[in-house]
Amino acid sequence: MSKIRYAMVIDLRKCIGCNTCSVACKSENAVHIGVWKSWVKHIQKGEYPNVSKSFLPLLCNNCEEPICVTVCPVNANRVEENGIVSTDPHRCVACRYCMAACPYEVRYVHPIKKIVEKCNWCLHRVKVGLQPACVEACPSGARIFGDLNDPESEVSKLLAKQPVQVLKPEIGTKPHVFYINLDHDAVEIKREVDVL
Amino acid sequence: MTELVYDVHHQVTFRWLIALYFYFTGMSAGSFVISTLAYGFGLEKFKPAGKVGVVMATLLLFIAPVMLLLQVGWPVRSVWNHFTFLNFHSPMSYGAFLLMAYPVNCMIYGYFMFKGDMKKTKMFGMIGIPLAITVHGYTGFILAFGKARALWNTALMPFLFLVSAIVSGIAVMILILMIKDKFFSKEKIINKEIIYTLASMLGWLIVFDLVLVFCDISTLSVSHAEAKETTHLLIAGELSPLFLGVENFFGKFVPMIIVLTPKLRSIRNIAIASALVVVGILFMRFVVVYGGQALPII
Repeated sequence: MSKIRYAMVIDLRKCIGCNTCSVACKSENAVHIGVWKSWVKHIQKGEYPNVSKSFLPLLCNNCEEPICVTVCPVNANRVEENGIVSTDPHRCVACRYCMAACPYEVRYVHPIKKIVEKCNWCLHRVKVGLQPACVEACPSGARIFGDLNDPESEVSKLLAKQPVQVLKPEIGTKPHVFYINLDHDAVEIKREVDVL
Repeated sequence: MTELVYDVHHQVTFRWLIALYFYFTGMSAGSFVISTLAYGFGLEKFKPAGKVGVVMATLLLFIAPVMLLLQVGWPVRSVWNHFTFLNFHSPMSYGAFLLMAYPVNCMIYGYFMFKGDMKKTKMFGMIGIPLAITVHGYTGFILAFGKARALWNTALMPFLFLVSAIVSGIAVMILILMIKDKFFSKEKIINKEIIYTLASMLGWLIVFDLVLVFCDISTLSVSHAEAKETTHLLIAGELSPLFLGVENFFGKFVPMIIVLTPKLRSIRNIAIASALVVVGILFMRFVVVYGGQALPII
């Protein structure tokens, strides 16, 4: 039997932008106020009557070739056996190099603990056979989590049957969150520039 | 029409402390290189700059790591973990060792210089040159490894940093030499020969620096989407007054004209030009650090 390699598929045809995933994540991981491990970007487009809304749920992509692991000077980031990128809170010194290098801006410094944190697909739950909190909470079943190396898993089946896209494939970190029906406009539009 | 309805706030990664850290290590490396011209390479002309250079290099390199330790969340743990959990893939790991080795070498070099042991001074000066170049070059290298940021992720970054480091080192050296001669020497006369030589070196290095900046920005302007946006931010956006005005026009172009035009070259004007360079390079550090992160990437 081959090794486990976890991946997540986010089916945006089902996403309703309710932010339940964000809340479930906050609650499960005690994410501090003002920072997020998982969040949803909302956009609206078009002119009445041709209008629509798009959502882009964002979280750590647990890349196969993560730049955060390469740059960490104290080896606090590592790729687990199951492919999840974890951060060791006892090693991290909050030099923020990984935050500067991450192409997905999923990392933050915990305002009190002063260490860098990010989504690790609820590693503590996954280890005991549970689904990540956001996957379990999603009311429309838009998030699917499973083993990429198991051809019978729902993730593998979806990847085999559906056209999927990842964020910033050109960066070359091989992200493992796959989106179905990804909206180009939701990726392109950015928040206001805040200099200083 | 496409409109962003909701997105979360993201923390700024590197702040002014990091910009100042780059600034101080740069000036330190620059002054060290000037100091070795006389004591390492035997160019007698630069002898008055030797001792000033090594004192400046050492002092600045004591201030610089303080900025780093203030920036990291766990200053004491950062030193300890650095040895226990070393990652050989990270440029920051190598940088930390350089930051420890370089000031020690500076002190040994300075000690022999003040003692008058020329043979050993030369030896430690020669060891110090690669250290000085790498201790500042690696800071550019760190940014270059920040692959998410278009402004940083270029192989030119270490060279941009090195050239601007030597430029700021020479400028600060000119100012310190002038102050030292004017107020703290017996004759109270400024040594014109060395000031003029350093000024022409400064001028030509600024030319080189401007060429590098031009290559960097012009390549960015035709690169991928985020690189284009970054170029726009620097050339026409919110950072353009700092980038074009303060850094490149007043900090590089004006001093270059002053020190390279024979009619304008006087002690007073060289002092003004050097002061402009010292301020300009400070803004260069800020523009690079903040400009790299100003644009949201997701």
